[in-house]
Amino acid sequence: MIRTRGPAKARDFRHTKKGWLYSAPAVLIFSAFIIGPTIYTFYVSLWNWNVLNPSLSVYKGLSNYKDLFKATDPSFAQSLWNSLYFTAAMIIAGTVLSLCLALLLQRGGGLMNASRLAIYLPNATPLIATSIIWSWIYNPQFGVANWVLHSLHLPTSPWVEGQATAMPAVILFSLWHELGFLTIIFLGGLTIINDEYGEAARVDGAGPWQEFWHITWPQLRPVTYFVIIITTITSLQSFTQFYQLSGGGPNNATTTLSYLVFEESQVLQNTGYAAAVAVVLFLITVFITLVRRRTTPAIT
Amino acid sequence: MLTVSACAGGGSSSSTSAPAAKASSSANAGAITSPVTITFDEVYDSGTLKTAMQSAIKNFETANPKITVNLVTYANYGALLTAETAAVSAGKAPTVGQAYESWAEKFATSKVILPISSLPGASSTMPTDMSSFYTGVQNDLKLSDGQVWMWPFDKSLQVLFYNGTMLKADGISSPPTTWTQFATDLKTASKNGVTGITIDPGNATEGVTSGEEWLEELAAANGTQVYTSSGTPQFTTPAVESAMQYLVNLKKEGALAIGTNYPGETALGAKKALVDLSSSAGYYYEQQTVGGKFPLTTTILPSGSSGSPDEMAGANLVVFASATSEQQAAAWKLLQYLAGPAEQAAWSAATGYYPVTSAALTEPSMATYLKQNPWVSTTVTGLNNAIFDPPYAWVTQCGIDLSTALSATLSGTSVSSALSTAQSACTTAQSQASS
Repeated sequence: MIRTRGPAKARDFRHTKKGWLYSAPAVLIFSAFIIGPTIYTFYVSLWNWNVLNPSLSVYKGLSNYKDLFKATDPSFAQSLWNSLYFTAAMIIAGTVLSLCLALLLQRGGGLMNASRLAIYLPNATPLIATSIIWSWIYNPQFGVANWVLHSLHLPTSPWVEGQATAMPAVILFSLWHELGFLTIIFLGGLTIINDEYGEAARVDGAGPWQEFWHITWPQLRPVTYFVIIITTITSLQSFTQFYQLSGGGPNNATTTLSYLVFEESQVLQNTGYAAAVAVVLFLITVFITLVRRRTTPAIT
Repeated sequence: MLTVSACAGGGSSSSTSAPAAKASSSANAGAITSPVTITFDEVYDSGTLKTAMQSAIKNFETANPKITVNLVTYANYGALLTAETAAVSAGKAPTVGQAYESWAEKFATSKVILPISSLPGASSTMPTDMSSFYTGVQNDLKLSDGQVWMWPFDKSLQVLFYNGTMLKADGISSPPTTWTQFATDLKTASKNGVTGITIDPGNATEGVTSGEEWLEELAAANGTQVYTSSGTPQFTTPAVESAMQYLVNLKKEGALAIGTNYPGETALGAKKALVDLSSSAGYYYEQQTVGGKFPLTTTILPSGSSGSPDEMAGANLVVFASATSEQQAAAWKLLQYLAGPAEQAAWSAATGYYPVTSAALTEPSMATYLKQNPWVSTTVTGLNNAIFDPPYAWVTQCGIDLSTALSATLSGTSVSSALSTAQSACTTAQSQASS
C-alpha cells in the first residue's frame, strides 16, 4: 500500500502548553511595557498625583475627567479638534498622494525606479532631526520656504509662526516624511492584484480612469483600509513634529492631545490630569481599531 | 514605601546611606571627615558655559580633596526638570540640582528638598554669606513660607545688544533711554529687509523666553507687575494691556518679527535687526553670532513711567532630601564655593552671567572682563531691585499662558481677549494649586 502525503494539517498552538511557552516572551514584554503602564495610567488618572512624592497624592475619582471640560488654555476640545484636523488631513492627503505616487512608480522605467528611493528616503530619516531642519526651512525671515515664494513673486507665509498657517505647515512636513512609507504599502498592494481584470477591461474599451476606478482601486480596498487605519493611529499619536516645529503654538493652534499629555505631565507636572487625557486618547484609538476590525475586508 | 523611596540615597558615597532625618543631627557642623561623592545636575552642556563649569568643579575638588562631584549635564532646563523629577520619583535624586523658583516650591511642598539652614554647618554661616548678595538675589532665595530653600549661582538681567553700525547709519546718536523712543528707533531702522527686533514669544516646549519676559518688564515699567507678590495674576490690568499693545503696534508697523530658537540673535548677526533683547549671559553667544561684522553696543533696558524694571533670570541651586549627612555637608560647601566672590568673578568673566555678590567685582579675575565690558559695572546693580516671578508652582503654567497670549495677539487675536483667556487659565491653576 502506498502511503500518500495529504495536505498538512495546520497545528493550532493557541490552546497548547507549547503555544503559551512560545508566546511567553512577547506576552511578558508586552505586559511590562504596554499593558501594565496602561493600567497604571488609568489608576493615576483618578488622583491628583504627586509624582515627586506619591504619598502626598490625593484621590479625586473622576474629577480629572470632569476637568477636561473645564480647561481653557488650551481647552480639551481645542486639542481634540487639532488632533482630528491633523489626522483627517493626513488620512485624506496621505492616502490620495501615496496612491497616486504608487500608480506612477508602478509604471517602472529608470526615472521612476530612482524616484522610489527619493520618495522613501524622508521616512528613513529621524523625525526629530528633520523637524529641526524644517524649523529653519520654515523660518519666516531666513527660511528657504519663504525665499522660494519671494523668488516666485508669491506672498510669503509665517508658516509655523502664524495661527492659521501653523497646522498646515506641520501637515506639509508630516506628509513629506510619511508619504514614502504609505507609497510602499500601495506599491505592495499593486503587485498582488490580478492583471487579468484590467486586461479584460481594456479589451472591452475601458479608459485609464475607468480601469482605475472600476478595476484597480476596488482590488486595493483592503490595502487602502490598512493605510487609513495605520495613518489614523500614527497621526493621533504624533508628537515629535509638534514638539520641535511649533511647540503647540501659536495660541495653541497645534496643541494636539499627544502634545497636551506632554505639556501637562512633563512641563506642568499635572500628572493625574495628563493621565486622564492619555486615557481618552487611548480610548479613541481603541474605538478606531475596533471599527477597523468590524469593517475591514480581509486581504485575499 | 514612599517614605523609603524619598530617602533612598542620592549619588554614591563611601559611607552607607542614612535617612535624611537622622543626618542633620549626626553631622559634626559640616566637617568632612571621610571621602564623599555628590552629584550635581545642571544644564551647562556647551561652549564657554561647559568649560567654565568644569573648571569650577575642578577647582572646588582641589580645594576640598575629600569631596568628589559628579556633574550630570542636561541640554536645557526642560530636560533638567524631567530628569530631576524622574530621579526623585525613582529614589535616585541628585545631591544638588539647579531649580527655578516654581520648581523649588513644588519640591519643597513635596518634601524632597531641604531648607538651606538645615544643611550641616549652614546655620552659623548662612546669614553672613547671604547678606553679601544683592538684595534682589537674597529675596529670590525664599519660598512662600519665608524660608531660604535655594542658593544662588548664576544670575542675569536682560540687556539690549545693538548693531552699532546700524545705529549710526540710522542717525541714532545714542541708544534710547525710554520705551517710547525705543519704539521710534525700531521703526526708523525697519527698512530694506531689516526688522527692528525679533522676539520669541515662547511656548510649552521652550518655556519662558525673552519675549515673554519683555512683556513682563514693559508691564512693570507701566506700573504693574504681571503677578502680585502672592502669585495672583494681574494680566488684565491696564498696565499689562498697554504693554501688550505696545508690542502689537510694533508688529503692525513692521518693526517686530517673531521666531523661535533665539531668533533675535540670529537676526542681529545676519544684520537684519537693529537690536536683540537678551540675557546678559548671552553676551558671548551674541559676540560669536556677530563675528566682528559690526561693533556690538550693549545697554540696559529703557525706562517707562515707573522706571526700568529688569527681570532677573537664572536658576538657583537646591539640595535634595535624600542626601546623607556627609553629602549634605559637602553640598553646603559646594554651594558656598560657587556663590563665593572668587568663583563668582571667574564664572562671570567666563560666561557673561552677573556675579551674585558685589565682592566679586574687586576680584583680580574680574578686572580684565570689566575693563573690556564697562557696561557690566553699571548694570549689575540692577540685581538689587530686579523683578522676578513669585515662587509658586502655578507660575510655570501662568508663564506659558502669558506666552500663549503674546503669540495670539501677535497673530491677530485682540489684546483684551488673549489676556482675559490667560488670566482665566492662570486663576484656575492658582485655585487648583491652593485647594
